Amino acid sequence: MNKSDWKILLVDDEHEFITTLAERLELRGINARVVFDGESALLAVAEAEPHVMILDVLMPGIKGLEVLERVKRTSPNVQVLLLTGHGSTRDGIEGMRLGAFDYMMKPLNIDTLIEKMESAIDYAGKAAKLGR
Amino acid sequence: MRDALFMGRLTAQATHEMQNILATIRESSGLMEDLLALDGEGFAHTERFKKSLAVLSAQVERGMVLSEQLNFCAHSPEASPAGAEVDAALHALVGLFQRTAARCRVSLALTPGRTALRTALRSVEVMSLAGLALDCALPLLPRGAALTLAASEQEGVAVVRLDAPGHEALRERPEYADLAGFAKALGVGLGPGPNGLGLELSLPRVTAQGA
Repeated sequence: MNKSDWKILLVDDEHEFITTLAERLELRGINARVVFDGESALLAVAEAEPHVMILDVLMPGIKGLEVLERVKRTSPNVQVLLLTGHGSTRDGIEGMRLGAFDYMMKPLNIDTLIEKMESAIDYAGKAAKLGR
Repeated sequence: MRDALFMGRLTAQATHEMQNILATIRESSGLMEDLLALDGEGFAHTERFKKSLAVLSAQVERGMVLSEQLNFCAHSPEASPAGAEVDAALHALVGLFQRTAARCRVSLALTPGRTALRTALRSVEVMSLAGLALDCALPLLPRGAALTLAASEQEGVAVVRLDAPGHEALRERPEYADLAGFAKALGVGLGPGPNGLGLELSLPRVTAQGA
């Protein structure tokens, strides 16, 4: 799959951070939809399942791990990359147990992020072929 | 300890915010780099811009290290049945003590020790003990001297060692009485290092109940 065909959903309440990240992805030919809270993330997934959701763990309202759980229940094919901080590394590990593909600590390295998105999409493709 | 736990909670929240700030700076400077790479040709100040962006990037890295050390401090008063990891506590302390050491024109380093070496103390207690030891030692060292902290295991006990200056000189320092009193209160052994140099702190081991 070409990068331009990837469907990416970015979820973080840090507006400046996440919209700038979306701009940088766009410059690399990757289109990403941005939402700023867990409720909007659930609606966005229900509207159009993304291939990969980049999800901040600590947000006001519905927390990242709850969003992850609910998304995995309704849309198990969506691959989730969690964004954690120093204080939420444990959440990242818990997230993996709940079905997250991986987690990354902020600040991000954009090349590593894209590599992880690619791996997540590859994994989803292979899992779909195996009928998981 | 309740005060320390509360301050730790506030500090942990602040370090989380710091990470968000650093993440935003990194993405914004990254976007400028991207745009410069795309359309920078012909721009008269490309090199100056690149230099400034490299400075920003280096400062983000510096902030990340500091934020990680502060986050460690924030959680350091928390008690754990598994005890505190000595090397991790010393690593954070040495990082945060660099400025103090630099003021004394001394280079301070941590000798890489065995990871997962544990003590029944809390991390904040390990850091306070080693910090008091550094307070004793730093003013006694000549400009340009090197001071090393190390953690090792001796007969199942975690030992923190400071390698200079002479132990007798350390004992003369007013901070030494504080260190000795604090060590005694925590059940920590305090004595000279090998050849009478520096000092050693023998930390209480994690009991079977605590592990």
